[in-house]
Amino acid sequence: MRILLTLLAKDFAILRRNRGALVVSLLVPMLIIYIVGLVFGLGRTDSGPTGIPLAVVNQSNNPAAQILVTALQSQKSFRVLTKFVNPDKTTRPLAEADLRPMIRDRQFSYALVIPRDVISDDRIGLRLKILSDPRNDIESQMVNGLLQKTIFSNVPQLLGQSLQARAKKYLGDPADDAFNQAIVRDIVATFGGNPDVILANIRNGDFGFSQLGKRLHSSPTAAGSSTNADDDVLSRLVSLETEQVVGKDVKSPTATRIVGGYAVMFLLFALSASATAFFDEQNAGLFQRLLSSPVSRGQLLWSRFLYGVLFGLIQLVALFFAGHLLYGVDVFGHLGGLIVICASVAAACTGFGMLIAAITRSPQAASSLATLLTITMSACGGAWFPISFMPEFMQHIAKFTIVYWAIEGFNAVLWAGETFTQLLPILGILLGTTVAVMTIAVWRFNGSKIFE
Amino acid sequence: MLSLRSVTKRYGTLTALDDISLEIARGEFFGLLGPNGAGKSTLMSLVAGLRAPNAGTLALDGTPLTTTDPAGRAALGLVPQQIALYQELSAEQNLHIFGSLYGLRGPTLRARIDEALAAVQLTERHRHPVKTFSGGMQRRLNLAAALLHRPKLLLCDEPTVGVDPQSRNAIFEYLERLNRDGLTIIYSTHYMEEATRLCSRIAIIDHGKIHALGTLDELLTRLPFVDEIAFPVSPATAAFAAALAAHGDLSDSTDDIHRFRPRADFKLSAFYALAETHAVPARVFSHQRPTLEAVFLHLTGRRIRE
Repeated sequence: MRILLTLLAKDFAILRRNRGALVVSLLVPMLIIYIVGLVFGLGRTDSGPTGIPLAVVNQSNNPAAQILVTALQSQKSFRVLTKFVNPDKTTRPLAEADLRPMIRDRQFSYALVIPRDVISDDRIGLRLKILSDPRNDIESQMVNGLLQKTIFSNVPQLLGQSLQARAKKYLGDPADDAFNQAIVRDIVATFGGNPDVILANIRNGDFGFSQLGKRLHSSPTAAGSSTNADDDVLSRLVSLETEQVVGKDVKSPTATRIVGGYAVMFLLFALSASATAFFDEQNAGLFQRLLSSPVSRGQLLWSRFLYGVLFGLIQLVALFFAGHLLYGVDVFGHLGGLIVICASVAAACTGFGMLIAAITRSPQAASSLATLLTITMSACGGAWFPISFMPEFMQHIAKFTIVYWAIEGFNAVLWAGETFTQLLPILGILLGTTVAVMTIAVWRFNGSKIFE
Repeated sequence: MLSLRSVTKRYGTLTALDDISLEIARGEFFGLLGPNGAGKSTLMSLVAGLRAPNAGTLALDGTPLTTTDPAGRAALGLVPQQIALYQELSAEQNLHIFGSLYGLRGPTLRARIDEALAAVQLTERHRHPVKTFSGGMQRRLNLAAALLHRPKLLLCDEPTVGVDPQSRNAIFEYLERLNRDGLTIIYSTHYMEEATRLCSRIAIIDHGKIHALGTLDELLTRLPFVDEIAFPVSPATAAFAAALAAHGDLSDSTDDIHRFRPRADFKLSAFYALAETHAVPARVFSHQRPTLEAVFLHLTGRRIRE
């Protein structure tokens, strides 16, 4: 027993000394639990997506249409954009013609157009138009569901008005009025109530759809699924005309996103592992041997950087080819752009790996820090789930991760089919990140003892 | 050939090398002896261009050695203390890489690799990964990798650590042959017998300073050591010991042995005559010459270094 306890104590003593192992075994899972919890709304007073940019163009003069806009603005899921900002910073209301270029320009992915004829005597129900860039399947479905829910919950009066207009057109005013009077009589006879108030409500389009909306609002399946009768009724009354602005010809959008996200995560893992090789070479005396030959520190560092970029490029392209073979991701249609963006992502990831090696003092520390940052960046950057599912502060953090910009780049090429010129902003961010992390890494390496 | 002028190297508040000046001539087999932390590795790393001195200059054949001039290091070969080889690669691949870094190409590189493998007796294993080699084989390849480009100066930093006697002997013979062929070697070691066997000149370094420098004989004679005669402490030798005290230094030791260091004017014949007078037989005496280890311990002390 004493021997067992001694051996047990030894293992815990080693663990206590190995901070890296503690980080990986405790801190990383805690962080993952925290992030996944945030995504699923745990610990938040509200759940679901937050702050998804939604452009709204209201062409209708109907007051109820403005009620819909106001309702959308009150939704925390959306950040409603109604103004177009001119180059001189002046603004004007957004027009439908603005939407498509702005969607292609990634300023937002969803837009709602409330047309002048939102209600018409030609048809029953409302006509609304949704323009979208559904590069993210899950987010897109969520947005559609939220839009429907908001419409159903907040503009029942529009639906009633639509029915009234349609009835008037077919029946004519006298017959329609007689029809309404007959309904009022039946309601009063069955349920009681003031016939004048009921008639005024009916003429004004208030058929009690708001009650359906409330029931729908409280339904657990409200977020987009059409599984109950209320939802079904309302969805028949609202004509949502949809137009996919970007990615219409993409065969496998989900695979495109998933392959990109996971490819960059595994690239980060691979390059972080290669960062620990710095310490292996140091411990083996290889740096001494190499630097006592006509090899400079700069050559040593940049050869490692180039190796990382080429390795990363090969890995990313290979994974996208695997995505092509397995799920039909369209690689060959965008090969040039894909290689450019993959090389930029590989450069940024290599720089990240070298920075890890430069700021840590042991392979264990490098490995632990790399694991922590890779998993955090992957989770926050959108490799696992859309960033709109996270709280807003996390969405801001996401934009400081390589993973986020890598996925943006892959989507821009494979989903939106953007040209090299259109890719320049993303390439600029990735290459700027590379320059920044490599500058710090080289500076740290020059001051460190790893080469001595 | 190698010239160090007033070289000082500090790590924070620790002075690892303190105003060292040293000249090493072409063809020398120069030994660097010192306890742990004495400054040997720092000195080697400065010569190898891995670190820069805080003060002073280093030059090889008049060309300054710096960390920023890789070309100046082309004439050097370093055998690091560690097995500085790519373990996953074969012996041949390792030699190919290190040879290429020195600008060797094509048939010349091929010939040098074959020559090096033969010299360290690894020709038959040239395609095997280094990680499958024994410690001795790895040490031999470690040495070969530093010689492909035929350096003028070879720096060996404890190159025989953990090596079996056969491999150690093979390394010694190879180094001796290279030195006979004109290669200048600086050899850092803890092992006195290695320095005694190999080195034509030795520097004993401690606390960043050179405490002694010269050939083995010079070190032994210049230091305050003379021959020492030892005999057992016993009633039979007590009177003889008392008589000897007038003719030199006599010390009792804890292991019941008298150690007598005669004065210069006390002849060996007089010593034996005195022994005969006190009926002490000659067979109890043992005559000891001072060793390099004795010199080393005298200069660097017996305190264990961390």
